[in-house]
Amino acid sequence: MPETGSHLTPGEPTPSVRGRVVKTPWARNLLTFVMVFGPGLIVMEADNDAGAVSTYIQAGAQHGTHLLWLLLLLLPITYFVQEMVVRLGIATGKGHAAMIYTRFGRWWGLFSLVDLQVVNFLTLVTEFAAIALALDKMTIAPQIGVPLAAAALIAIVLSGSYRRWERMVVVLCLLDLAWLLIAFRLRPALGETIHHALVPNVPAGRLTPDLIFLVIAIVGTTIAPWQLFFQQSCVADKRLRFADLRWARLDTFLGACFTILVAGCMMLAGYASLRLGFTFSDPAQLAVDLGRVAGAGIRTSILLLMVNAAVLGTTAISLSSAWAYGEVRGWPHSLQLPVRQAPGFYGLYMAGVAAAAAIVLIPGAPLQLIILGVQVLAGVILPSAIIFLQLLLNDRALLGERFANTWWNNWINWTIIVVLFVLSLMLGLQVVAPQWFPST
Amino acid sequence: MRTRKDTATPHGGPKGHFLVVHPLDDVGEEKIDTENAGPMPMTVSVRLSLLSVRAYLIVMTILVVYHVLELAGLFHHGY
Repeated sequence: MPETGSHLTPGEPTPSVRGRVVKTPWARNLLTFVMVFGPGLIVMEADNDAGAVSTYIQAGAQHGTHLLWLLLLLLPITYFVQEMVVRLGIATGKGHAAMIYTRFGRWWGLFSLVDLQVVNFLTLVTEFAAIALALDKMTIAPQIGVPLAAAALIAIVLSGSYRRWERMVVVLCLLDLAWLLIAFRLRPALGETIHHALVPNVPAGRLTPDLIFLVIAIVGTTIAPWQLFFQQSCVADKRLRFADLRWARLDTFLGACFTILVAGCMMLAGYASLRLGFTFSDPAQLAVDLGRVAGAGIRTSILLLMVNAAVLGTTAISLSSAWAYGEVRGWPHSLQLPVRQAPGFYGLYMAGVAAAAAIVLIPGAPLQLIILGVQVLAGVILPSAIIFLQLLLNDRALLGERFANTWWNNWINWTIIVVLFVLSLMLGLQVVAPQWFPST
Repeated sequence: MRTRKDTATPHGGPKGHFLVVHPLDDVGEEKIDTENAGPMPMTVSVRLSLLSVRAYLIVMTILVVYHVLELAGLFHHGY
């Protein structure tokens, strides 16, 4: 890997210092938070992508509100994992792929990079598949809608301004607030919803293999490997400073709360179809079914939110791939750079988006096999990526006391790691050897 | 956040105010030098962790290969 003596991106002009003047400490804090805010919300809400929409809606459609408590349990877990990423990104100014390569050597670096690229690309295909599915229900031909979506996703990063990209994506994240309106409109039983959100319980009192694997799928959906790479690179590209750490933590925490809230509303949308007697097949069909009862507005809203989820997931996942590859290869890799100064970085992003969109448009494309591949590969990379993160953050000689893990960080994180290892192994076993897990 | 209670702001504003600078507009901050840190020291915990990752990857690879061979019909049972 080439040496980078400065955290500044090669070729990027030295920024002139300009700021805003405020009069009070609280105004200073608020303005600083607003300036730092972004990566945390984006990484969390982009995780509510097409796959997550399908998983959470399925959970609600099959088990009602019984799995809401699991989302609440995942909130601190996802925060703790991403908080480590933020700390490492701010401390080093480097992305996760670059850190693995530097500290663990070429073999582990290449393994992490290649696995990330493959699983990310396959996930992009599933995102565009969801866009095609949703557009089809809105009588928009996928041959028109998918290329348009791909073009928009490419345009969103080409401005040569990190801030412009971030603002657009934050707006897309906030559009997911519509899920709250949809959940409210579908009128779930409030008491039952709150009770099942706070009290762990098992649907119909039985723990079946199918339920276990839905739980594993929910966990795997909520904590995804690309998030580790994305947020660290995003924090590095935004050049967050040591003093920004507490605001970045707050950004990450609020993002975690937001994404769990939206995920819960997705479950409630699925639950509505259960209450109305519909059989769940996919989120787009659910939107059509609910629309017959609750009105065309609900139908169109859910379909548009499916597209929004897929768009969010695509831009974040594509950037995590482009950033990771650029870091390891030593290419200029910043959204602050125009295309001509970072052709490899932007080229990789565009190639991934275009190729994924093209595959979805191929008649008879093996989408089920691709979804299977995503599950297995994500199960392979996630535990290893988190172990690297944990090891990097225990290097006190390098990071110092301020950024290294505390003892309670380590207790919590190792517990999370062990649980994720076991769940990933179980999911892998279930996918490759389902005959070992008879369903009831 | 880079702020200072300035005696004079860039715009010549009054004393006792705060200047808040966006990270992308700020001057570069010297980060922890990882380039010259070299490889991670192989302590016992690091070795054990990497060993567990290797073991996990071997098990997952065996599972995937088994599944592929089963799909190819090389085993007597199938599904």
